[in-house]
Amino acid sequence: MSYKVNKFSEETYGNILFFKLLNLNWLIIICIIVLGFVGVASLYSAAGGDFEPWAKNHLVRLIIGIFLMIILAFLPFNIFFKFSVISFFLGIFALILVKFIGTGDVQRWISISGFNFQPSEFMKLALILTLAKYFDYISRTQLDNLITYLIPVFLIFIPGFLVISQPDLGTGLSVILLGFAILFYVGISMKFVILSFLLFTSSVPLIWNQLYDYQKNRILVFLNPEMDSLGSGYQIIQSKIAIGSGGIFGKGFLLGSQSRLNYLPEKHTDFIFTLISEELGFLGSISIILIFCILVFSIMKISFKVNSLFSKIVAFGVGFLIFLYLSLNIGMVCGLLPVVGAPLPLISYGGTSLLTVLIGVGIVLNINIHDKITY
Amino acid sequence: MKNKSQKNVEKKITKRFFLLSVFKGIVVGAIGWRFFDLQMIENRKYEKLSDENQFNYDMIAPERGRILDRKMRLLAGNMDGFSLVLKYNKNTNIDKTIRKILTVININEKDLNNFYDQIKSRKKNDPKEILITKKLSQKDVSKLAVRSIEFPEIFFSMTKKRVYPQGIIAGHITGYTGPYSEKDNKINIKPYPLWLEVGKTGIEKYFDKELRGKFGRKRNEVTSRGHIIASQIYENTETGNDVQISLDMGLQAFAIERFERGNNTLVTLKNNIKNKKIENINNFSYVNKNHYYKDKKNKIVNPQSGSLIVMDIENGEILCCISSPGYDPNIFSDGLETNIWNNLKNDVTAPLLNRSMSGVYPPGSTIKMAVALAALESGIIDYNTHFFCSGSKELGSSTFHCWAKNGHGKINLMEAIEQSCDVYFYELGLKVGIDKIAVMLKKLGLGQYFDVEIDDKSKGVVPNIEWKLKRDGLKWSLGETLNASIGQGYILSTPLQLATMVSRIANGKFSVTPTLILNKNPDRFEPLNINQQYIDFIKNSMEKVVDGNKGTARNSQIGSKEIKMAGKTGTVQVVRISEAEREKGLIKNEDRPWNKRDHALFVGYAPISKPKYAISVVVEHGGSGSSVAAPIARDVFKYIFKV
Repeated sequence: MSYKVNKFSEETYGNILFFKLLNLNWLIIICIIVLGFVGVASLYSAAGGDFEPWAKNHLVRLIIGIFLMIILAFLPFNIFFKFSVISFFLGIFALILVKFIGTGDVQRWISISGFNFQPSEFMKLALILTLAKYFDYISRTQLDNLITYLIPVFLIFIPGFLVISQPDLGTGLSVILLGFAILFYVGISMKFVILSFLLFTSSVPLIWNQLYDYQKNRILVFLNPEMDSLGSGYQIIQSKIAIGSGGIFGKGFLLGSQSRLNYLPEKHTDFIFTLISEELGFLGSISIILIFCILVFSIMKISFKVNSLFSKIVAFGVGFLIFLYLSLNIGMVCGLLPVVGAPLPLISYGGTSLLTVLIGVGIVLNINIHDKITY
Repeated sequence: MKNKSQKNVEKKITKRFFLLSVFKGIVVGAIGWRFFDLQMIENRKYEKLSDENQFNYDMIAPERGRILDRKMRLLAGNMDGFSLVLKYNKNTNIDKTIRKILTVININEKDLNNFYDQIKSRKKNDPKEILITKKLSQKDVSKLAVRSIEFPEIFFSMTKKRVYPQGIIAGHITGYTGPYSEKDNKINIKPYPLWLEVGKTGIEKYFDKELRGKFGRKRNEVTSRGHIIASQIYENTETGNDVQISLDMGLQAFAIERFERGNNTLVTLKNNIKNKKIENINNFSYVNKNHYYKDKKNKIVNPQSGSLIVMDIENGEILCCISSPGYDPNIFSDGLETNIWNNLKNDVTAPLLNRSMSGVYPPGSTIKMAVALAALESGIIDYNTHFFCSGSKELGSSTFHCWAKNGHGKINLMEAIEQSCDVYFYELGLKVGIDKIAVMLKKLGLGQYFDVEIDDKSKGVVPNIEWKLKRDGLKWSLGETLNASIGQGYILSTPLQLATMVSRIANGKFSVTPTLILNKNPDRFEPLNINQQYIDFIKNSMEKVVDGNKGTARNSQIGSKEIKMAGKTGTVQVVRISEAEREKGLIKNEDRPWNKRDHALFVGYAPISKPKYAISVVVEHGGSGSSVAAPIARDVFKYIFKV
């Protein structure tokens, strides 16, 4: 008997696993893998044609991360629903903790047994989950009431200000932007949008006074890079030179003179896209942007398709998060935005943003699978 | 299943979904356009900026062309030398490095100052190789090379050093080179001045463009921190062209030796004891370590100073051009110490002065031919016009003396030239007038610049009535005409002008102009426009000066039947002799202090049958033209014609 039961359950389990594999969105996974390998190749080039010190690490992280992503995709769906609020409080706790035990010259990192991670990045995922759960809950009773948006505003601004005060203006603003994008998505009234926009513009002078000198400087230099061509403006000028000199086909893999001769600062992290543009040219850069667009679009498609409001919001949040990363980073390297310190996920060297995106995509994949499975 | 509120939300979400998609599309479009703009439209601009980042250029100095004499003998060439160069890097402590180098070798102060100037004025894209000094001796090189590990920032570079094998013999003609400075602003060259040697004087300066050649460039790939990671030759250097000049170094060497000796005797030094003895004599600028000169009274004297020029009367080529005392241009090639330079500059004997072209002297009796020609051309006299010379000429309250105290008696033009009678020429001057004399002097080459290939030249002075009025606002007096008629007073000329004058007389047809290069356009001469008969008459008179029984240079005949010399002596008073002194009896030239003695001059040409070479000799404070200058000219002609 027990044998039979055992056999039956094994069969069922196997069936489910097979079904899940079949329902994975393979386009998203391929995009992730392609972008990850672009990252490995770029880091190989950034090191002057060497797997050390970045490319190898990145590859290892990528493989582990993709495994983690697929595991997340197969987990039972309601885990995320359950743990969303807990993850939010954990995130807030970590953000407060980083103030006391943080490492780095600006306190952004928590060091756990040799691994550095940035709680602010995970906070973004926690925020998406929490907001999704909140609106899912609210929608069962009432919506379209300004009062209902008061709690989410707090949920957005608490982590937002914690991150800004680290100080990390770029990430903080992107947390707030992400939150508001979700609010907008679930249908906050246009009146409120306009009101908050007015509120924001009128508080600009106030915020300006709160900024650190280096942050003010970055914004000033963004407005006029030549103001300080050897100091803060140096990065953006050199980055533009590198991109512009790439031309249509680029200087060739490993042949970017700007990066090879160290004119590019942060060429392996925030400015990695500059290196790609220099070496692979206009066609290369546009192709990579297109792959990102395909990734974002596929995730958005899932958000459009799924049934539950929670799933819709989570998928939208993750898609918008990737879009936000992409536009902030690329906008920054080509001089459209001030230098705020935003990584390019999957390509920049650095574990936290890679892991954040992979976890986020894992959750989206999970939603995609389980929305079709009806228990 | 779903309540109303949930349905409402879903409807709204769909709307917002598309709104947000449009927003994302706009953002991605903006980024795409930005990349298109940077990489496609402005690509050129950024490519250039990228190249400026990636590369910088170091100059490679070209080898300077050589200077050769008419027989292809080397006057100026190049020798291998070593330069000390600093590899510039933002992070090097330059002061410390230099101080460390200075503990091992000496670097001259001028070079160090130049070096620091370069460091101060550095711009981002300037060359990374900065010259510390070019004047590194073999010893310095080995001293530093042994300790090269301690000096990673510096390296040696093979550079060429200018060398003048003929040394002092032709120093004034070759000139010398030195590092480029702001003063040479005619040369338009961008920021790499210290590597560039430019001609400072003489032929080196005049032909600087031809000699200099073209700089090459080395392209370095530079990191953002200024480290050079690779370099290659980007543009080749072009060696400068050789310049051949008309000097004959054999003649030049002989002439300078003969000239410096004058009428004194050469004593060769054998040991250091004598050496010391000589150095202890006051007012003696000891030039040569191997020999010295003694006069007839056995006194040690300086070598004669002055100038000697030999010129081809047909094409104007200068075969020999001496200015004594001279200087050795080689000293400028091995880092001239400031004090040596100052000594040279402030030396009372002015060794840096090129007397042959920049020195001006009263021409004395050597212009009597010109006065005679002026008189003949104006038709005031003929060949047989006589004047009576009593030894002096009264004019108003003053007396003008002839060099012969007792006079020459009744004398005609040819005799007057032969014996250089002053009174005859006083009378002639009075009749002709200063303006006509001045016109003839200018026609014969005085009072003007020639386009000879040396930049520093003097014009000399040919006075006339207008000139004096302009200069002093005073009227010309007849006494001044008398002085001018015998080449004294205001009139001044350079040895080169005298050589040109005698060339024109000897040539008779063309206004020969001097040149230092070979085969210069022979059509450049204009016709002389002087009656050929008068020229022949003057030439005959000049022959008499040497050959005649009473000729002033009769003791300086070459002594060959085929080759004979013609000429005219000149003895120029340097100090005015007062009437009282004259009555007391003249002090003999040798008994006066050196700088109050007369200048000795001689101009001439040879051979008389078919004139070929003209000569002018000016011996400063040498005594009389006939006893000092004429024998030098004779010996030079003897050397030239090998008799």
